Amino acid sequence: MKKMKTKANLVLWLALIGFLALFPGVFGIYYTNMILTLAIFSVYAVSLNMLLGYTGLLSFGHAMFFGMGGYGTALALKHIEGLGVLPAIGVGILAAAALALILSPLVVRVSGTAFAMLHLAFGQLLYVLALKLYKITGGEDGIANFPIPGIFTESLKSSPEHLYYLAMLVLGACLWLMWFMTKTPFGQIQVGIRDNAKRIDYLGYKVPQSKAVVYTLSAAFAGVAGSFYGLFHNLVSADGSLGIGMSFAPIVSVMIGGAGSFFGPILGVAVFQLVDELILRYTESTELVMGVILIVVVLFIPSGFMGLFNLFRLKLKARFFDKTKVEKAS
Amino acid sequence: MDPTISMYISQGMHGIAYGMILFLIASGLNIIFGMMGILNMAHAAFFMLAAYFCYQVVGITGSFWLGLLVAPLITAALGVLMERLFLRRAQALGHMGELILTMGIANVIVAGIKKIWGTESLPLQMPEMLQGMVNIAGMSYPVYRLFVIGLALVVLVFMMLLLYRTRLGKIVRAAVSDRDMVNALGININLVFMFVFGVGTWMAGLAGVAIAPILTVFPGLADQVGMDAFIVVVTGGFGSLAGAFIVSIVFGLLSSYGVQFVSQFAPVLMVVFMAIVLAFRPNGLFGAKD
Repeated sequence: MKKMKTKANLVLWLALIGFLALFPGVFGIYYTNMILTLAIFSVYAVSLNMLLGYTGLLSFGHAMFFGMGGYGTALALKHIEGLGVLPAIGVGILAAAALALILSPLVVRVSGTAFAMLHLAFGQLLYVLALKLYKITGGEDGIANFPIPGIFTESLKSSPEHLYYLAMLVLGACLWLMWFMTKTPFGQIQVGIRDNAKRIDYLGYKVPQSKAVVYTLSAAFAGVAGSFYGLFHNLVSADGSLGIGMSFAPIVSVMIGGAGSFFGPILGVAVFQLVDELILRYTESTELVMGVILIVVVLFIPSGFMGLFNLFRLKLKARFFDKTKVEKAS
Repeated sequence: MDPTISMYISQGMHGIAYGMILFLIASGLNIIFGMMGILNMAHAAFFMLAAYFCYQVVGITGSFWLGLLVAPLITAALGVLMERLFLRRAQALGHMGELILTMGIANVIVAGIKKIWGTESLPLQMPEMLQGMVNIAGMSYPVYRLFVIGLALVVLVFMMLLLYRTRLGKIVRAAVSDRDMVNALGININLVFMFVFGVGTWMAGLAGVAIAPILTVFPGLADQVGMDAFIVVVTGGFGSLAGAFIVSIVFGLLSSYGVQFVSQFAPVLMVVFMAIVLAFRPNGLFGAKD
């Protein structure tokens, strides 16, 4: 039974990879860009969920790592001549991780509301600084039109498919890494810290240090997402990458999708994108639809769309197997 | 008097007036959080809504005073309704659920405002009595701002009396420290919550009406002032009225003197202040330890 399941899973994953590989050729550039945005925000939301869902730390300033990744990559490409695109992404990741390392001695001591507020403070500080230090960051205009050298081609700007494949490879690897991390003993300790930090401390694990590690990793992954977001738009701006809205967007995605699960945030991002797309076509008031969705989800689907999905799956199973088996499985 | 000194003084007064308005919003936000643990993201939206209500009342009746009286009351009624219909059902979900819910409600309110009143900024005439300048010790100062300062002080005194001199205030303070215990003593805690939510949104509404003639009424009002008020609450410490008051005044002064001396970096000052305070006292200046 178990072997069959892993085989089925393998086939499903291969099918998904094949589908994504063929996507640009079949559906054209518009939908390819949509998938790319989905992937970027998925990595971003999952990286936040590493803190929120797995370690129990709510951050109101995750955008600063997203923005650091973007600004790091953009500045590197703009100022260092002949730099490849991969090292530039690396610069972005390092920038985000470095910021997290600097902040970590300060933030790992606190949790709960204080953690959230401290991040609000630093996030806003970085946002305002990015607006005001216009000699470095370009102020409100941000950094636009920086060169993006390709790996096989002169520039990625003229070949969006190449950017798509590069992004998919890197972002996919990131998602896999984060998923893998939740399965390691270290990931289990994180869940332990969320549920009962004192007990983990008594068991002999170093709570602040493990928090710092997961915090830095989460920041680095957010940096990857931000870096690709900058490359994709060929623009990094304070409002687009560092603003308070960018900090709240992944929180909302995580909550809508379901904070407890790994794939929940991705589902949340997908729902968001779908709604955005539909809103653009049929109505003008994004806010109204978004607001109503948030209210409905909190009041009626408290476990998020992932919970809804699991419920359907169980019901479907109940139809095919007898009930005792389902109860065992769940 | 020396013109530079009188300019400093009038800048300071401007700062205090803005600080007072911040305090009106922040204290509502603060008391709701302190007691119910709800981070009310819709608070700023209610604040803005009251400004629009006032605009409407003035448009119909022509009386600013009536608007000042009626608009905050309608806003408070809506706030109570929101607490009763939505927030109470989300209580089981914990604070994250409430946060997302109030975010959703804020979105709906902003969308509604844009639908009904459009996106342009609407001017609100202040009453004739409050127009013009007054002479204080050789310098002229707009009457309206004095009125704002006075209004906020009156509300502050009223709140203090309510909280520290009445039985209801005692219950509210007790509920801030341990709501389950208060409930167990046979006090209908839900009713108290509803009341507190009403007072909180009423104060936000009052601030909205007070600021409307200065900044005009536009849909970005909530973002502009709401964020500042939020920072005030965070820096002052959740659940502390005194903290909110002091930090409001400090921020008001920082923003008005900041614009004068380091106009480039005026917005940074507030955030830097918040970051420094939180770095050493994560729960805010006067916040209780968790």
